[in-house]
Amino acid sequence: MGDCAIQAEGLTKYFGDVIGVEELSFEVARGETYGFLGANGAGKTTTIRLLLDLLRPTRGRVTVQGLDCQRQSLEARRQIGYLPGDFPVYPDLTAAGYLDYLARLDGRSVSRSYLDELLARFDVSAIDLRRRLRDQSHGMKQKIGIVQALMGRAPVLVLDEPTAGLDPLMAQAFREMLDILRHRGDTTVFLSSHVLTEVEATCDRIGVIRGGRMVATGTIEDLKRNAARRVTIDFREPVDIGTLPALSGVELTHHTGRQWILSVRGPLGPVIQALAGHPVHDLSVQPFKLENYLASYYAED
Amino acid sequence: MTLLPALMQRSATQARFVLLGSLGLLAGLQVVIVGQASALEETHGFSRMTELVPAFLQRGLGNKSLLLVTFKGTVAFGYFHPVVATLVAVLAIYFVTEIAHEVESGLVDVMLARSVPRRVVVTRSVLLATGAVAAAMLLMAAGTRLGLRLFGSPEFDAPSAGVTARLLLHLAGVALCFAGFGLAVAAGARRWSTAFTTAALTAVLMYLVDFLAIGWPLLRPIAWLSPFHYYPALSILAGDAPEWRNLIVLLSAAAGFGALGYWRFSRRDL
Repeated sequence: MGDCAIQAEGLTKYFGDVIGVEELSFEVARGETYGFLGANGAGKTTTIRLLLDLLRPTRGRVTVQGLDCQRQSLEARRQIGYLPGDFPVYPDLTAAGYLDYLARLDGRSVSRSYLDELLARFDVSAIDLRRRLRDQSHGMKQKIGIVQALMGRAPVLVLDEPTAGLDPLMAQAFREMLDILRHRGDTTVFLSSHVLTEVEATCDRIGVIRGGRMVATGTIEDLKRNAARRVTIDFREPVDIGTLPALSGVELTHHTGRQWILSVRGPLGPVIQALAGHPVHDLSVQPFKLENYLASYYAED
Repeated sequence: MTLLPALMQRSATQARFVLLGSLGLLAGLQVVIVGQASALEETHGFSRMTELVPAFLQRGLGNKSLLLVTFKGTVAFGYFHPVVATLVAVLAIYFVTEIAHEVESGLVDVMLARSVPRRVVVTRSVLLATGAVAAAMLLMAAGTRLGLRLFGSPEFDAPSAGVTARLLLHLAGVALCFAGFGLAVAAGARRWSTAFTTAALTAVLMYLVDFLAIGWPLLRPIAWLSPFHYYPALSILAGDAPEWRNLIVLLSAAAGFGALGYWRFSRRDL
């Protein structure tokens, strides 16, 4: 079955003339926590729905644990625990009744002790479990959604905006849960989120999708290395811009007599060498922020 | 195999008020109709009602139209009254269009993200619709029996058990035909209201086509399209309707539409 928990190859989905995703290829290793990022309408949910065989691809394929999500749909879905972006509920059911119903559909046995552990971790009390879902807050419904995705101990978790509507304490509890799963090493997490601090804190790797295409993928460290950094150089006296040699990966974005602002991709060494002999007063490098990095992609949408 | 019972239990629980309300109404209506027929029979009212049968019905249906102004015909009318016929059809449509509601609400995502085959979701709806129609038929027959016990007399010429069974079988056939049509529509719909309204209005329209064709020759060439055309209640009552032909047409159409529903739902994007 290989080392990939999820593998997409040339995955393409058109809705008439509209591109859902196009030639999307990526891999998620077993045990990895993968952050899937993109602006609204970029294709995140389409990708997830293709993975779950809720949508049928125009071309290409996607596998989960080596199982083709379309041809071996049932077996593939048996590997997945899923939390949709907007967790739907039956308003007339209690939370306990809903969990029981979903466990019956699961086809996997749900350990009572593990379920109790999850309920305790997400602060779902016995009273909450007895209340009808129509009377529950959005946050409580989201917690039930997270619990139902985790309760079957599926080897692959697909979580669409898991912390939307959770208070900071519960969002923290969720991150701790992901940490536990990550350290246990037997669960792959495919996480779509807009909360970048969460992605930065929990994900081993991220993929950025824009206009249905994967535009960047790698570890946060990879992204840091490859991302353009903003380097501001202040001089003690005006310096002629012509003295800056042409350097690969370096672009001048703004300059005045006493200040240059550069966009630098790759190592800083050549820039520092080029500045030797210049009356540099100060040099500052803006620290890498995933937020800024993504904004450059989001802005183009 | 716990999937199908779990799905059926959930849907039935959710629809319990609609189901029980409709079944109660259908059964209650039979009791009331028998009560009305008994009152007319006791006062010899039917003999005075012959001239009340509309002329177009007499022209279109011939002598059979006069069966409507007999005790037997009025009791049997409870099985082909427009409200009854369309209500049974709409009840079946309600259950089969649940899949469109599940798509609209996103519940289908949570169900089908698990190892639940799409066909099981459709089968659940088909079984519930069939069960609801069967329950309606049984309770309507029970309503008639109860009405006869409460208001009838052994001297009254009530429809025989065989005629009642044939009328109910044909009514069930019509309802299942619309259930199949509703399923075919719902299997491709994104909104429950679209699927339900389309199928329910089609049922009403088809009733009108069949009924109006009796007196309006212009509609007769297309009357065969209406499932109600294959439910010749007065002929069944008169004992001159074909034994099985109409029922076979209705059930074949139901099966055809149903198969189309399965096929559409298995291929569609959710």
